[in-house]
Amino acid sequence: MYAVTFHHMVVGLAAGSGTLMGICAFLAWLASYISNLKSSKSTLDKASYAASILTLITLPLAMLSGYYSVSDPSGSAILYNKFIFSGIAIGFTLSYIIGRRRFGSDMWNHSALANIQMLSALFGLTAIMILGSIGSKITLGESTLDIFPFWPEFMNSIVINQWISLSLLLIGLTSVIFSFRIVDSSA
Amino acid sequence: MKSRILVLSLILTLLLATSSGVANPGGKGDSNRDYTCGGSCHGDPSLSSPSSAIIDVDIPSTVYSSTTAEVSVSISNLDTSDNGLVGIFLLGSKNGNSDHPEDYGWAIIQDPNGGSSNYIEAVSSDNQVTVSWVLLVPDDLGTKEIYVSIQHGSYYNHNNKAFIGETDAIVVNIEPIPENYPTLAEGWTSPEERISGDSSPITIRTVNTESLTVYWRLSGETSSHEATVDMVADQEWEVSLPATLGDTRIEYQIIASMDEFSNQMPWLSIGTSEPYFDGTSLGAKLQSVAFILIILGFMLSLQTWFAPRGVKKSIDHTTVVEESIVSKKTEESTSEPDSDYWSRLIKSDDNPGWLWDPVENEWVADPNLSGGEQ
Repeated sequence: MYAVTFHHMVVGLAAGSGTLMGICAFLAWLASYISNLKSSKSTLDKASYAASILTLITLPLAMLSGYYSVSDPSGSAILYNKFIFSGIAIGFTLSYIIGRRRFGSDMWNHSALANIQMLSALFGLTAIMILGSIGSKITLGESTLDIFPFWPEFMNSIVINQWISLSLLLIGLTSVIFSFRIVDSSA
Repeated sequence: MKSRILVLSLILTLLLATSSGVANPGGKGDSNRDYTCGGSCHGDPSLSSPSSAIIDVDIPSTVYSSTTAEVSVSISNLDTSDNGLVGIFLLGSKNGNSDHPEDYGWAIIQDPNGGSSNYIEAVSSDNQVTVSWVLLVPDDLGTKEIYVSIQHGSYYNHNNKAFIGETDAIVVNIEPIPENYPTLAEGWTSPEERISGDSSPITIRTVNTESLTVYWRLSGETSSHEATVDMVADQEWEVSLPATLGDTRIEYQIIASMDEFSNQMPWLSIGTSEPYFDGTSLGAKLQSVAFILIILGFMLSLQTWFAPRGVKKSIDHTTVVEESIVSKKTEESTSEPDSDYWSRLIKSDDNPGWLWDPVENEWVADPNLSGGEQ
């Protein structure tokens, strides 16, 4: 019972912080091209960074509370999709935070790095929006995003075999370790 | 003697091990059953009492053979247990065996819960419940009898008794079907449910029908809409009903026509079921973590690929401090090579804060602008 209430609260926090992360990161990226935003660049960068950290804290809490809010958390495709998109949202948010930590606020001055960071934040925000849309479908039966003609069908899901998931997990882990080592050796 | 004591002890133990209980207070589910479940526990007078409920049955007194007929059962003044569950039987007799309407030639096209059972369980609201069966009338002409029986618990039920209610025989006169009268084919039953999101057409088989019209509505709606009907074979029709989601029920009414006859049949309904899904909790967790790591690995690789060599880790400034100490000590001695190096770097307006090294073909942070600041 408390899991449902807690889930409602923490989902609101995750959505809010995710939106702040995405919008501030986009504006910080835009500040390199629009002179009116240049004075706010540092503030936008810091706001986006702080929001991304809050998003990274609240997303797993939302997953955990969501897991205990339903009787069969993986019993249907729509609930299974929530796991998948939570993973995607966490992946992009974590990428954004690590990028920001490694390269500092200077990254916004390098166009390629700034593009990657902006895309990480926006993809993270998109995944959070999809999560919200799925949640709305479950509780209300409809979502504001239904107005889009190209919105995916969340009643189906791609279920990957557990061994393939495990292989993907190991590949991902290896690529993360290698990326860290390359960055470390180049720095 | 010893063995007798042993056997008696065993029998006594087994007798004491039996627990007292009530017969299925949570219901048994919809199924095909005889009167009082074939004279089982609810049939025992010591375990049951008459119900105070009033049962009204509405069925046309005269029907054509081989056509559809609706039996509407309204039960009021119910005193149920706290779950409000009522078991309702539609019977052809009250013998305790072979009481199913099919034993008397009737065929159940749809029961109140969307299936084709003669016993269903319903939850009462405000001490009353109304349900209806859609039947295919027998071929035999003459009179047939229909009975309705109910069983339920009670809120104040200290003796754990079942409460039984039943009607007298309701006589239905079956007349011969007019020649070429359009109706449903024998053996056709309405689908119980469709998978969520499934919009594939349902097939209806008829007899003596030259045109078929189908209206649909969502459960609870009053206005109905005409569905698209295609004739796929002789007396076989495909009806396109919109897909439903969640626990929505869609109702439809068939009107079969032939010359001057137009047979408007009772409303039937189809429920919605969740599609079969073979995902597991462990699989979902593994896939989620795999996605996190794959995305992280990909984005970090991109960062590494596009990061210029002059951009260093912002957290660990040890090397910067060490280099500044060393550079101060050797400033004079190494000033010449340094000045050569810095003089060859080219400023770029497109990349403020960065200098282009044409020898190494790389971007270097401008030290005058403290590592890339403008």
